[in-house]
Amino acid sequence: MSTETKVAPKAAMLTRLGLDRFSAIYLFVGFVIVFGIWKTDTFLSSATFKLTLGENVPIGLLALAFLIPLATNSFDLSIGSMCSLSLVVATFLQREATAGVPNGRSFVMPGALSALIAIAVCALVGFFSGFVVVKLRVNSFIATLGVSQIITAVVLKISDNRQITDAYSKTYLQWGRREVFGLPILFVYFIIIAAVIWFVLEHTPVGRYLFATGGNVEAARLAGVRTDRMIWGSLVASATIAGIAGVMLSAKIGFFSAATGPGYLFPAIAAVFFGASQLSRRPNVWGTVLALYALSFGIKGLQLVVGAGSFWVDPLFQGTTLIIAVALASQQGVARIRKKRAA
Amino acid sequence: MGISLHIHSLSKTFPGQVALRDVALDIEEGEIHALVGQNGSGKSTLIKILAGFHQPDANYVVSMRGADFEIGSAAAAHAAGIRFVHQDLGLVEGVSTVENLALGFGYHTSFGRRIKWRSEAKRAKQLLLDIGFDIDVRLPVGALGAAERTGVAIARALQDVDQGVSIVVLDEPTASLPGADVDRLFDAVRRLKQRGISVIFVSHHLEEVFEIADRVTVLRDGLVVGSKKIGELTMDSLIELIVGRKVLAKSAQRSINEEATPRLAVTDLFGPGINGLSLGVRSGEVLGVTGLTGSGRDTIVGLLAGAIPRADGRVLIDGEELPNGNPRGALRRGLAFVPVSRVRNGLLPMMSVRSNLTIANVERNKRGWRLSHRDERHETQDWIAKLSVVTAGTEAPISTLSGGNQQKVMMARSFRLSPKVLLVDEPTQGVDIGAKEEIHAFIDQAAADGTAVLVCSTDSTELARVCDRVIVLYRGEIAQTITRAEGLTAEAIDRAILAGSALAS
Repeated sequence: MSTETKVAPKAAMLTRLGLDRFSAIYLFVGFVIVFGIWKTDTFLSSATFKLTLGENVPIGLLALAFLIPLATNSFDLSIGSMCSLSLVVATFLQREATAGVPNGRSFVMPGALSALIAIAVCALVGFFSGFVVVKLRVNSFIATLGVSQIITAVVLKISDNRQITDAYSKTYLQWGRREVFGLPILFVYFIIIAAVIWFVLEHTPVGRYLFATGGNVEAARLAGVRTDRMIWGSLVASATIAGIAGVMLSAKIGFFSAATGPGYLFPAIAAVFFGASQLSRRPNVWGTVLALYALSFGIKGLQLVVGAGSFWVDPLFQGTTLIIAVALASQQGVARIRKKRAA
Repeated sequence: MGISLHIHSLSKTFPGQVALRDVALDIEEGEIHALVGQNGSGKSTLIKILAGFHQPDANYVVSMRGADFEIGSAAAAHAAGIRFVHQDLGLVEGVSTVENLALGFGYHTSFGRRIKWRSEAKRAKQLLLDIGFDIDVRLPVGALGAAERTGVAIARALQDVDQGVSIVVLDEPTASLPGADVDRLFDAVRRLKQRGISVIFVSHHLEEVFEIADRVTVLRDGLVVGSKKIGELTMDSLIELIVGRKVLAKSAQRSINEEATPRLAVTDLFGPGINGLSLGVRSGEVLGVTGLTGSGRDTIVGLLAGAIPRADGRVLIDGEELPNGNPRGALRRGLAFVPVSRVRNGLLPMMSVRSNLTIANVERNKRGWRLSHRDERHETQDWIAKLSVVTAGTEAPISTLSGGNQQKVMMARSFRLSPKVLLVDEPTQGVDIGAKEEIHAFIDQAAADGTAVLVCSTDSTELARVCDRVIVLYRGEIAQTITRAEGLTAEAIDRAILAGSALAS
């Protein structure tokens, strides 16, 4: 197309190389090469690969949870604490259930049941957030920030801020620790859930309504979209997915701590916004997944390089790459505006 | 009395259009000078040139108290002593009068740049008293009445009056004011006159012009067609000057079954701007609705479509009542609606032409659980061809289209629902001539298909072109109905709008 030539040269090159829309892939490949050479034995091992795929699933799920309300231009900042709420409910229900039974391992039902109850509790809290946003007309940013703090209080109250290690049966832990086709099972769950969300967002009317609500809420309402229901529903969905993240976490790590969960909020949001600069250039599922793993493999590599005491690597890395990726994506936008002015 | 502002040979050419042609205007000291004309007559261009927003063509003569000055910059207008109160007032509603007055002027401060709030408040109070408003200057401006807010805007424009303010331009100051507030505003304007300050008063309300103006200058199609003392004019002769003679637009020819019951029936409708309105539109008929801003013309479509909740009254389509304040409910009962100001109420800015077109009925292209993007593309392609929408394709972001083409997509969004009743609000606002005619042809087509169409517009030529019948609103009621049989021309509609007050009483 001749339009290519009209774009400023710098931006044209960005476009040709796909640096604007596919920077996460470049990043991913770059990390594999750099760290593969630098730390060949550790970084390129299948153990590292599996570990990284599996351990980032809760963050990835929270990112998907964040993505859905974001499509309607609402923010759900309660997903991190929602995850720990799910974790605490799942843990303490099983603990109570197994405590009274002489042989906890033979008692399977409470594991599944408590997981379902934990997810249902989160969905209910999400329903409450939706009520606050839609009916009480509180800005979603503020509403979910408030809900988040309330949840934290509940979690601390239930758990008494203890760490619990012996709550789960072996069967229960198997759900989170098995491998299928040589992949961590959590990663498989994650990809299935991502595919479902992708289908709903991109290939059903509901997805269209969600993005329409986010694009121009008044225009969507006047065109017959039930915008209130979309916002409300998206908050229930995000809470439910955060609940699932909590349950998966319990089955994977096998112990409870009130500190787990809230810390995932930033990496999750970073993956969504980085992901929104990828592929279709709006918040989207596969861009988010791509961004998540580009970031996490980079972090893993750096951790191996730095060695002990590498806690500071995660946030530094997430912050820097987020800024770089979004900046690369905006260059295209800037060029487009310049072109328009020139015309 | 001397001449305050003298303008001669002022022209303004926009690409492809002459907005002002050899305008001459003299404003005397201490006079209230009304500037009137229809939309597009050039009066807002003239005001914008004075304000320094537009640069006029070369070879103009403008002098202030005999001294030439270069117009075309805000600073020059300010230095020459011209102050402006624009229609939207430009106030910040969340902060107090004192703070609004300081915008662009700054505060008086004492040691350490501490703002001297007390003396600032006193000064603000005095400024408002000078023009006849006794208000609490510490209240947020949003908490004040409409007239008081206008007062604050005037006070702000006049606060450095000692530096030689000689002209205040009031651009449609009464557009959003209820009757009683207009009187207060006029008292303030007369006080300015007593202080020897000239006022240029822009208004659509001719009865107000007769009430307050000393002189009237009429613009039509960029020309000054008359500048007269108010005593030399009557309502009729003034309307004649404003409207002039218009070429008869080509108009639709339709035969409507006069006996048929209306498809759209509205009884005793009350709501913002509307006071007990009843009307009916038959199948295949196009009803036009017009009136001044604030007459109810600007809210009627929103009220009928459910975008604005109605206070009372019933809206029926084929005998079925529409739920109140529920656009979706109205849509499901056969009402489609193209809202005014498409950027705010219509466009989904980040989305494609396809998504914008299909949003009012996405379900149609569902195949099982899945939404078929392919079927959507085919359908969108058909509409693009039918309405000759200029776009890079069905997947192009809607924001890449021109205004006229965006509007066509908005029309297609409604047409594709095959509605029983179609409401269109300002269908050709910000649309170029070519697209305009195509949109009009589509309104004809909708009527031919048996839809009852209601077109709300401020463009009389448009109404004369597409409508079978036009109602003119005044203060929320029907002031006059003009049918095709009685001679539905743009001129007749303009007369009815301008004379609305006389006919309503």
